[in-house]
Amino acid sequence: MTTTGKDLLEEFRRQRLAGDPRLTDADKEILRRITTGDLSDEFADSLVSISDADPLLGGGFDPDDD
Amino acid sequence: MIVVDEYLAIRSLLGDVPVGLPDEPLALTASAHWRLLQRIHSPSGGQLSQALATLSSAGRDVLRRPAPAVLEVLDPRPLLDEAAQIAARYGRTGLLNAETAAGLAHGRQLWFGTERNIGIRLREIAVDLGSEVHVAA
Repeated sequence: MTTTGKDLLEEFRRQRLAGDPRLTDADKEILRRITTGDLSDEFADSLVSISDADPLLGGGFDPDDD
Repeated sequence: MIVVDEYLAIRSLLGDVPVGLPDEPLALTASAHWRLLQRIHSPSGGQLSQALATLSSAGRDVLRRPAPAVLEVLDPRPLLDEAAQIAARYGRTGLLNAETAAGLAHGRQLWFGTERNIGIRLREIAVDLGSEVHVAA
């Protein structure tokens, strides 16, 4: 691999690890609460409820039922 | 490429990748993205919905259309046939699990941000397919 190729891959890696620059500090704080903070359990519950409410998504139907 | 759940997808957008997560591009299945979008567009009235409602317009757009350089949303179309085969073989998987398992067939590793997000069925399928399931700290 050339130096140019390595530099480019490293730039891609740096962009990936930096996250999305469009998020504001306030946005980041909200999303941290949802993923690792006080709202993380409520987030998990809500994802389960979305799956449970949609048999196609969550698998609630019996494939033997035509 | 590593397939991640909604938790790690959001954390990647924050630039908050957990220690231990392999240094590889991350991908979210379309059905998992669909669940996330449902949460954004269908507020339930709880604290979570109130918090999401305070995201900036740009912040909402980050979740709606993640930057591919940070997080790729897998195109479901090439995975559909494999997902259908997995659903037929294991039964009662639902698109979420079937598509995730089909994604695993390519990514080989599935990482969750919380133990609660791993269904028993998906874990069984992943083990049967010889794929690894991890929970990030």
